[in-house]
Amino acid sequence: MRNFLEKAPCAAPWLALAGGLALAACQWLIFVYAPVESTMGPPQKIFYLHLPLAWWGLISFFVVFLSGIAYIYSRKPVWDALSGAAAEVGLVLAVLAVLTGSIWARHSWGLWWTWDARLTTALVMCFVYAGYLIVRGLDMQPGRKALVCAVVGIVAFLDVPLVFLSARLWSYIHPPSISLEPEMKLTVAACTGAFALLWAGLTLFRFKLALDAQRLDQSAMERLMRRG
Amino acid sequence: MLSAALTIARKDLTLTLGRGSGLVQALLLGLLLVFVFSLSLQPGQRMTPQAAAAVFWMASAFCQVLIFSTLYAHEEVNGQRQGLVLAPAPVQSIWLGKALAGIGMLAAAQALFIPAVIVFLGQNVSALWPLGLGILAIADIGIVAAGSLLGALSQGQSAKESLLSIVLFPLLIPLFLGGIRIGTAVFSGALAEGAQSWFGIALAFDAIFVAAALALFPAVYNAEE
Repeated sequence: MRNFLEKAPCAAPWLALAGGLALAACQWLIFVYAPVESTMGPPQKIFYLHLPLAWWGLISFFVVFLSGIAYIYSRKPVWDALSGAAAEVGLVLAVLAVLTGSIWARHSWGLWWTWDARLTTALVMCFVYAGYLIVRGLDMQPGRKALVCAVVGIVAFLDVPLVFLSARLWSYIHPPSISLEPEMKLTVAACTGAFALLWAGLTLFRFKLALDAQRLDQSAMERLMRRG
Repeated sequence: MLSAALTIARKDLTLTLGRGSGLVQALLLGLLLVFVFSLSLQPGQRMTPQAAAAVFWMASAFCQVLIFSTLYAHEEVNGQRQGLVLAPAPVQSIWLGKALAGIGMLAAAQALFIPAVIVFLGQNVSALWPLGLGILAIADIGIVAAGSLLGALSQGQSAKESLLSIVLFPLLIPLFLGGIRIGTAVFSGALAEGAQSWFGIALAFDAIFVAAALALFPAVYNAEE
């Protein structure tokens, strides 16, 4: 598993390229193939970006949670590097999901922001992972920091199911689900797939950088030890 | 486990309250927050019940950061943490002991914050006060469960208060939201539709935080400096 994780970043450029091309192709699906929604009109098209951004943001945080558990059990730094990479990409996607949602809300509800349960819990999730990334940047002994980050990553994920369930439980303005035409469903599925490639590429790029940073730190430490 | 936890809680309460400064600092911070918010009001003006409830929970949040920072600081010197870890009791009893001491101190502080909110922010307590006590107890359990776990995590860090605040506050927001919703009802006398559902959400978060703390505490609290 460790060898697989360390070799996986080699696929990053190809995944990112495939993701970019697929997203470009998705623009045709969004603006030509999918019909214009009858009540909201063209601004509804932002939905095809909003949903994949939100889903892949949540999946990133699930990766942070799983790699946190893996680090606690194995104490291998590779899991810490994966956690950090997934958290960074996840936060970017989650913030973009909030921003695209806000633009959509301005058109359909007439306001940029309201204290709806789904919106509130999504914003709280962004704050939680922003806090997680601040902890990653603190000056601590490396092993201790990785452990602290693993625990915070696991505990932070406890809020994520709340974000998912909030619209079903007590949201008053954000719809829990939307009925779509078959062309719209296909477009959403294609966009989600394209974002999957882009997400994997970005996460693996960042993961490779984190592994390189760990190797450089290790090498600098060994050189210092040799000097005595 | 329970008897060891009670022993640790008694030890921590004796040390903290014996010195005096531990709880006084947390209390002063909370009371100052309430007072500073009262400056936003014109003479004779009353704060809205929702804002007053939010100020109360914000004071409680800052207070509990200082409480857990103080509670875990007791074992930071002279290798006392090793002594505690080597004690013949499950390591989770340390988490439980600190949480019990923490909830006692937090409840004592809140007993002063409530009159401060009534006096400084111009609030009245309605006949719904038993609901307020109920959400106070439920939210406090979740707050100290997460606070005790993350307090152990930040032990030994130079900026432990800021580390605790950054991580803990966003996590506790669902509990604070429940507390604010019910607190608003207590101060205004009108219970909003569906407000009771916050009890279920707060209880669910209590269960999640307690389970996570019991599972993760042994990894967090060990003899490593």
